[in-house]
Amino acid sequence: MELDSFSPEIQQEIEALFPRYPDKRGALLPAIHLVQAEKGYLAPQDARALAGLFELQPVEIWEVLTFYNMFYTSPQGRHHVYVCTNLPCSLRGARTLLKGLEAHLGVRCGQTTADGRITLGREECLGSCGTAPVLRVDGEYVENLDLAEAKRVIDGLE
Amino acid sequence: MITQPHITNYLSEHYGNDAYSGLAGYQEHEGFEGLRKAVRMKPADVVELVKSSGLRGRGGAGFSTGLKWSFMPTENDRPKVFVCNADESEPGSFKDRLIMERGPHQVLEGILIGAWAVGASKSFIYIRGEYEFAARRLESAVSELYAEGYLGRNILGKKGFDHDIVVHRGAGAYICGEETGLLESLEGKKGQPRKKPPFPAQHGAFGLPTTVNNVETFAHVPFILARGIDWFRESGTEKSPGTTLFGVSGHIERPGLFELPLGTPLVEIIDHAGGVRGGRRLKGVIPGGVSMPVLPPTELDVPMAEESLAERGTHLGTGGIMVMDETTCMVRVACVASYFFRDESCGQCTQCREGTGWIHKICERLEAGRGSAADLGLLDDVPTLMEGQTICAFADAAAWPIQGLMRHFRSDFEAHVAERKCPFPESFEL
Amino acid sequence: MPLLTIDGTEYEVSEGRTILQALDDLGLLMSGVDIPHYCWHPKLPIDGSCRMCQVAVEGMPKLQIACNTPVRDGMVVSTRSEPVKKAQRGVMELLLINHPLDCPICDQAGECKLQDYAFEYGMAGARTEEPRRPAKKATELGPTIVFDQERCILCRRCVRFCREVSKSGELGVFARGDHSLLELFPGAELDNPYSMNVADICPVGALTTKDFRFKIRVWFLDDVESVCNQCSNGCNIYASRSNNRVYRYLPRRNDEVNETWICDHGRLSYSLITDNRLTQPRVARRSTTYAAALSKAGDAVRAAREAGGRIVGVASPFAANEDLFVLREFLEAVGGANPTFAVPRGEGDELLVKVEKAPNAAGARALGFEESESLGGAAAVAVVLGHALEAQAFENVETLILLDSENCVLRERADVELPARSFVEKEGTFTNHANRVQRFRPIVEPTFEAFAEGEILQRIAVVAGLAGWTEAYDVREVSKRLSEAVAAFNGIHLGSLDDCGQKLA
Repeated sequence: MELDSFSPEIQQEIEALFPRYPDKRGALLPAIHLVQAEKGYLAPQDARALAGLFELQPVEIWEVLTFYNMFYTSPQGRHHVYVCTNLPCSLRGARTLLKGLEAHLGVRCGQTTADGRITLGREECLGSCGTAPVLRVDGEYVENLDLAEAKRVIDGLE
Repeated sequence: MITQPHITNYLSEHYGNDAYSGLAGYQEHEGFEGLRKAVRMKPADVVELVKSSGLRGRGGAGFSTGLKWSFMPTENDRPKVFVCNADESEPGSFKDRLIMERGPHQVLEGILIGAWAVGASKSFIYIRGEYEFAARRLESAVSELYAEGYLGRNILGKKGFDHDIVVHRGAGAYICGEETGLLESLEGKKGQPRKKPPFPAQHGAFGLPTTVNNVETFAHVPFILARGIDWFRESGTEKSPGTTLFGVSGHIERPGLFELPLGTPLVEIIDHAGGVRGGRRLKGVIPGGVSMPVLPPTELDVPMAEESLAERGTHLGTGGIMVMDETTCMVRVACVASYFFRDESCGQCTQCREGTGWIHKICERLEAGRGSAADLGLLDDVPTLMEGQTICAFADAAAWPIQGLMRHFRSDFEAHVAERKCPFPESFEL
Repeated sequence: MPLLTIDGTEYEVSEGRTILQALDDLGLLMSGVDIPHYCWHPKLPIDGSCRMCQVAVEGMPKLQIACNTPVRDGMVVSTRSEPVKKAQRGVMELLLINHPLDCPICDQAGECKLQDYAFEYGMAGARTEEPRRPAKKATELGPTIVFDQERCILCRRCVRFCREVSKSGELGVFARGDHSLLELFPGAELDNPYSMNVADICPVGALTTKDFRFKIRVWFLDDVESVCNQCSNGCNIYASRSNNRVYRYLPRRNDEVNETWICDHGRLSYSLITDNRLTQPRVARRSTTYAAALSKAGDAVRAAREAGGRIVGVASPFAANEDLFVLREFLEAVGGANPTFAVPRGEGDELLVKVEKAPNAAGARALGFEESESLGGAAAVAVVLGHALEAQAFENVETLILLDSENCVLRERADVELPARSFVEKEGTFTNHANRVQRFRPIVEPTFEAFAEGEILQRIAVVAGLAGWTEAYDVREVSKRLSEAVAAFNGIHLGSLDDCGQKLA
């Protein structure tokens, strides 16, 4: 096993997924989600470890990691705060909201606060247009927001 | 979060009742009646029934569902697979999420009816990674079905009717909503759509014969089986029977979902949603998700069904209705849309990869007041270099919004060129 | 056999082929029927993403990509209709959006498909001045390849090559959309025995070889058909030369031998052509004239014959069939046995590289020669075609006559050294591991006096007084004699062989 890659427990969870798919490679996206839940992001050694498990080349793992928005290859803040900036949300002020949050946190979109607490980002349509504008905070949707409510939610994150 | 549509019909009637998302609650309202009827029929007859019902796919393409099912091979030499496309990522579209959160068993029953009809032994529900709550609801529903014998071996006592469902989460890529992009992603690769031929019914998920259907499409199927074709065809139009969950968003008084018959005039739906917010004037409406060309206020009478929308140069798509009022700068809309397509292009085909980037750069320059008349000519021309010439329809989806905006709101673009700035300071911020 | 009509001409094609494959089978692709393409390659899996090969197929409303459209009997295709031309212009224009204007400093210029197709199918001017996407410039991808990421058009040929052919899987395309970039796994290198093939298949100058970098413009080169001599596979090559100097080898397509590939070692072996070799005839290790050296050799042979001394020959698996045949005839004439030969061996692989590290061991065997490390006893005269031999074997030889095109170790032991021509300096044939006889053509002229081994042997024979031998050497005539004398070579000679080669009977 690669030094400093994911734990044996995670490896077992990954291997338990293999029988669900006619080809075990089908378990790759779920596997990456599992690794990321443990480690926060994937480094080259994690990709090499996955490559070994799935009998693929490390570069194929890295291709998958860099293709999908939800996978990270660099350290992240403790919390992810994403603002949807697609059309329905923008029509209802999402980008103004984003700018407000940038000012509030003192970072630009895509950056992490200096204390490592929050990574602020933007996302494409989250499927919540009826309750726009919307944030995705650590996987949970926070809907029907205004800037004040958004700040309140964010300030509550440790 | 939305717990039920503002207007309900057969599909969403019980969404407000939390118990409906559980098996017991579902079964109190006709749950699995459709499947019980289906397994008393010959599989081929179920396919015929769905075909005759006229049910059209609700994922954006509007293809006849029964016809799609009939493409599956009848031989049983290879296992057959269903895939439920729960990747809902079309901007303006948020109906599948509600169906999965509030009526997951409708989807699962629809899958099982389809499984019986085509002889599929396995299904994957490919759900977009961001829909974590809906995925948990589906997992829970799937567990209930295994516990009650609706999944696994010899379902409903039918020997040989075996089925397994796997809930599979995506990881954030719009292109995984494209049928073959989804299959690639399901197989653990980048979600880059495949060349066709071969088609999924011959060579689909993991090389097996596969049919891909949208969440909402599956959700209608149990009702068609339980209540019959005649009932189903009572609502909607001749060519587009049934209801759909229209999603209304943007500058609207009451955003949300409205379950209405296909063919309902757009103006009625907007009225149901309370009209333009603040009583303002309507400037434009996108009828079916951001990929579909915008309509000007003169077209509000259009019946919301594919056949009528096509006559007006646009499409039903996923019924995601985005309302834009008089303050809206259409060049900013073009910036938002073109950024989206640039970001989400998978990058394989030359025209899509480079064309989406080019269009976005031009729109941004125009909005910043640094555009010229030549740029307007480019916005006319570059979409035509992309349309109809790529591995999948993403390039068309990227071309159409620009074409729609230039067709109906060219004056917004011209004003940016003439005034060397955005002349709509009241517009939503970019 | 399905009938395919393209631009009004009907062709009969094989079953189960796409349009591009069918044209390639017929040898017509881009030399008869022009369907421009980037991502398709005859020896790689179909990709279908560059969109350059779009054609109009009667009965199909949209343009189809010729690389992935199966030919159906009666299919009618147009490659020159207005929609096709518009599509080609469109693809060209869009490919140039993010492509840097590097032609003046790019090695690919002159053999670049972007240049060629822009000229043929593209637009005259650019309609954009948008800044191009940021990417790397002139970085090392590994020990052999220079990578200009900015120039990459994302055809993914190199990715497919590394996954399917070299099976080393180093390259990938990261991210998506117009942020897509060709890359290596972090910290990895492109390092496999076939790495330089990616520079061949890259249609643009994104992947170029360090070896060739900035050496010469390709329009100063002309390409000569030849065969690599580093192992018994006999990969077909082009030797690119200018001003009597070879600048590189490129693989030459032969579907029976090496497809479109060559290993890096073979490709770089052109650099073995140097002047670090025997350039002056020597007798007793002192330079002399060619005539004097021949005289000494011929005298030794005559003396040995008159005294009944043993004359032996040592062949070389690096020598051409024609030279080996003359050696055989020579030994017959002097009463010697067939020559022996020794073959250097090493590692082979599953793709091209063979264990025997010489091009013509099979030819030597086909002529009846046997492998041996020893001469089988003392000899009065040994006539040796030099290449990598052990000096000990020749301790009991009175007069060692060495015909050398390199810098054989036997030079310190030889009594007569005669400069010979290497395979790049003459015409001839080699027989590869699968008994395929392949011809090579003269590429450069030595800057000193040297002859083919067969010609040297004829001259020695004349000096030695062997009946019926003349100095006048015609390799084609030798080749014909060989084909008549050895049954396996029947009908195979330099007058009849094309550049694909032919198998022994």
